[in-house]
Amino acid sequence: MNGQKGIKNKKIILIFALVVILGLSFILAMAFGSVSISPIEVIKALFSGGEGSTEATIIRSIRLPRILAGILGGVGLSTAGVILQGVMNNALASPNTIGVGSGAGFFVMLAMVLFPRNVSVQPLFAFIGALIATLAIFALAYFADTSRITIILAGITVSSFLTAGINLLKTLDTDIAVNINSFLVGSLSGVSFSDIRIPAVGIGAAFVFAVIMARPLNMLELGDEVAGSLGMRVGLTRFLLLVISSVLAGCVVSYAGLLSFAGLIVPHICRKLFGSDARILIPCSALLGGSFVLLCDLIGRVAASPYELPTGIIMSFIGGPFFMYLIIRKKGGRRLNA
Amino acid sequence: MLEYRNVSLSSGGVRILYDINVAFKTGKLTTIIGPNGCGKTTLIQALNGQSRLCGGEIILDNEDFSSLKPKQRARKVSFLPQVHMTIPAISTHTLVSHGRFPYLGFARKMGEEDKRIIREAMKTADILEYEKEGVDTLSGGVRQRAFIAMQLAQSCEYIVADEPTTYLDVKSRKQVLDIYSKLRNEGRTVVLVLHDIAKALEISDELIIMKNRKILFSGTPAEAIKAGIVEEVFETEVKTFTEDNRIYYVTD
Repeated sequence: MNGQKGIKNKKIILIFALVVILGLSFILAMAFGSVSISPIEVIKALFSGGEGSTEATIIRSIRLPRILAGILGGVGLSTAGVILQGVMNNALASPNTIGVGSGAGFFVMLAMVLFPRNVSVQPLFAFIGALIATLAIFALAYFADTSRITIILAGITVSSFLTAGINLLKTLDTDIAVNINSFLVGSLSGVSFSDIRIPAVGIGAAFVFAVIMARPLNMLELGDEVAGSLGMRVGLTRFLLLVISSVLAGCVVSYAGLLSFAGLIVPHICRKLFGSDARILIPCSALLGGSFVLLCDLIGRVAASPYELPTGIIMSFIGGPFFMYLIIRKKGGRRLNA
Repeated sequence: MLEYRNVSLSSGGVRILYDINVAFKTGKLTTIIGPNGCGKTTLIQALNGQSRLCGGEIILDNEDFSSLKPKQRARKVSFLPQVHMTIPAISTHTLVSHGRFPYLGFARKMGEEDKRIIREAMKTADILEYEKEGVDTLSGGVRQRAFIAMQLAQSCEYIVADEPTTYLDVKSRKQVLDIYSKLRNEGRTVVLVLHDIAKALEISDELIIMKNRKILFSGTPAEAIKAGIVEEVFETEVKTFTEDNRIYYVTD
């Protein structure tokens, strides 16, 4: 962030732009798909109450829940990414790279195996899995030390362990192997309102806490000793932030599977645009993350129509090259040392 | 008065200091000097919770300091640690505002009084003109003053800094030390750890000399010179000369 004057105005404009982008993405995602519906029809369908033309049904019971799921997914993953990158002071931290995602994933698969007919237990399992992964990382780090490097190493260890667990379940239970692929790459296909009701509450609540915790998150980036000198309980704060990110990531995984890149690259882009003040970074990443997932999902729906490509594949196709670009331009991780 | 009574301290689970007795006088600028590894940092880190009290007591204005909660502690003693490892891309104003953390409630909303104190702190550290600039874009000297402003925003009577002049050029070093002298002149109690012996002798009211995890000397710079203890501990020669009623020290 350079210190020109009027930087605040610039930020307000950028935030406004992000809101507009999200709005446009929303309309695009409503209008396009295997059936194209004009924007006017979309608005009519949204506000017309219960009467049912085919378009209205498509809009209200297929596209709307899916779009909300996409926005929520982007918000959840991106906010979790901002938190994890800040807490671990590591540019490479994200729900997927430190094992929170695979923890949630493993437990959701476990739920699929144990309660194949009861989808509603999945958010709970996802959260438990994310939290267990977080706690395991924390315990590992605690017995060594709570430095950022140790946490990242612990995360990678836990992650690979849980990924092995996921693959084991996949091998053992051939029934779930059939529909597990879209779960593993992350997909919003067929998401209904009932799938996202509980996750929405979880993500909403966790997001509010994330906003409240933005200042402590900023302070953690000054290093443990500075934060401690300012009267912060560093260990406790870090733990609370990790729980918040577990809730966020866990809720998303519960209905969307292992969506990856959003949690890594969206916070990165926002850091470049807005600097690393979490009070700005969190809302902006949430807005941009929502649009990003929504647009990736839209591309997945229309690119190979009438077939659908899982959101996660599109996201990685777009996110992968972008991340390579970040790595090549070393400035990408300049402020956060891996 | 800030007083250590028979204090033992551990850092990272290892006991480093035993049975230390030392007092920091109210309204004075006290500097702790000593060779690397003598335990200076551990000694003062008892004041920001980085080293653990495992014996004795620390008394601050007739209160048991170690029983204070972190936020209460940070309202009494502001502590600026050595070298800041990561420089975040936040504005100088935001950095300084972190100094108000010990006073913020759960919602962490700043009041008018907080904002006034932040401005006052930036004025004292002479960084008002950099208010909107990113901390990551500041030069080393200005950045250090921004961190000092953050510490001042804590509005504490006791101000502690661990080697605040490391890596700074001559001019910035002077600016930093001038700020601490000014704070002392305003009646606050300042405790510094410094590497520059000559500067320490020059600016301090009281000097504490440590070696091998023991306190060897506590008194005024003049007394220290007279006793020859500085030369003994640092194995260096100290020359004193006076000009315009100011005493200057030169080490070789």
